[in-house]
Amino acid sequence: MITADDVGGVHVKYLYHCPRQLWLYARGFRPEHLNDAVQLGTAVHELSYSRFSPVDLGAATLDHLDNQLWVHEIKHSAKRREADRAQARHYCHQLVRIGVDVQGAVLHYRNPRKTERFPYTDDEHQKATEDIDRVLDIVAQAESPPKLGRTSCRGCSYLDYCWSQ
Amino acid sequence: MPATSRTYWLTTPCRLRRQDDSIRVERDGHPPTFLPIEDVRDIIAAAEVDLNTSMMSLLNKHRIQIHILGYYGDYAGSFLPAETAVSGTVALNQMRLASDDEHALPIARALIDNAAFNIRWVIDRKLLTRSYGVLKESIAEATTREQLMAAEGNFRRNAWEALDTKLPDWLQLDGRSRRPPRNAGNAVISYINGILYARILSALRLTPLHTGIAFLHATMQRHRHSLALDLAEVFKPLFAERILIRLANRRQLKPQHFDINTNQAMLSESGRKLIVQTVRDDLAETVKHRTLGRNVSYDELIYLDALALTRTCLEGSTYAPFRVWW
Ligand code: SF4
Repeated sequence: MITADDVGGVHVKYLYHCPRQLWLYARGFRPEHLNDAVQLGTAVHELSYSRFSPVDLGAATLDHLDNQLWVHEIKHSAKRREADRAQARHYCHQLVRIGVDVQGAVLHYRNPRKTERFPYTDDEHQKATEDIDRVLDIVAQAESPPKLGRTSCRGCSYLDYCWSQ
Repeated sequence: MPATSRTYWLTTPCRLRRQDDSIRVERDGHPPTFLPIEDVRDIIAAAEVDLNTSMMSLLNKHRIQIHILGYYGDYAGSFLPAETAVSGTVALNQMRLASDDEHALPIARALIDNAAFNIRWVIDRKLLTRSYGVLKESIAEATTREQLMAAEGNFRRNAWEALDTKLPDWLQLDGRSRRPPRNAGNAVISYINGILYARILSALRLTPLHTGIAFLHATMQRHRHSLALDLAEVFKPLFAERILIRLANRRQLKPQHFDINTNQAMLSESGRKLIVQTVRDDLAETVKHRTLGRNVSYDELIYLDALALTRTCLEGSTYAPFRVWW
């Protein structure tokens, strides 16, 4: 299946949101392009922060890395999610791995326009490493993980797939 | 499927040309019209269409499929963009399930059972009670796909006879004939099935399923997209037979909708327009979905069925093909 090097930001985000989502995604089944919410996400992205330049890390793309080596991520939802933090943390981890002395992550929330900073400490590094192991564990399971409760599924691009029995 | 983009139906002969990021539609005697490319999900060409290479690369770039219906309205072919949703796991499992009768036969059986259930619902529950009972018995006993297909063939013949009792003389099928359709009723059924096949192919291409690997129909034999034929079984009655009955009852179908000669019949241009319009409206019709708890269009039902089959190939869940529930 995948190795530690293949684990990208999306894997980590899904790990926090729903293990089943991660399991499905890792098998190459990705219905994202069908989902209106995801399309909205992409559109917001293109319109509002065009001064940023995305950085391609192979397994992951991050929105922007500034001159002071802070990772910038843009979120279109107003909600603060653990999954977003974990994703940003993972990007820092990946940059450190390729020798970039990254300072930390800045999450930009569009609505209302606010930013939050998360310095990349040893503790964060430890957490990021554990997340990668957990991703690999779940992906390696033979059986798909159970569904979340219905309300947590709102907005998930696998919703039709999981719930149209 | 994305709500922002749509299926475009071409019902008069035309030329498609690329102009920047738009499709320029040229028809004789009309000023050209333009379709912005983001607006298009797929195209069904129900009339002569002329395309060139730069048009094709534009379609490919935006992952737009175009399906072409032939002279008799039956499916003639598609231009399918190279890149689709791929998943090695799904394709491998699909291959495994399809090539092992222990797994493939239950799926094939369910397809035939639910197809018959839907046909009976559309045509006449009472008239087809006995035949449906016979079918159930024979598919339970069948041990090969060929036996399943034969059982289904018998049921369909009875169903078409029952259908004829609901139709005025001139629209009766008098047995199914395809290429060419022998009479008006057959021409309608063929045409709707052709459109439906194109829709199913579009839905399948949104999933990681391989369209050439089938459970009921022979995989890739004589036919590149056998999986679309599998799914078509359960949806055909909801569209083809149902629309024919309805248009006949309302006397909307008229002889001028057909070009008929001694041994074949075709829809005329006005006939094609009527059918395309009707199918299009039906695809947009909605029902309340039982587990999703929202309204879904008939078009979406096709996609959801394709997703259900994906679930079977990815997670081994039992596949319950579409069956009318309302
Ligand atoms: S729909 Fe729900 S259960 Fe399915 S992947 Fe999404 S969050 Fe998980």
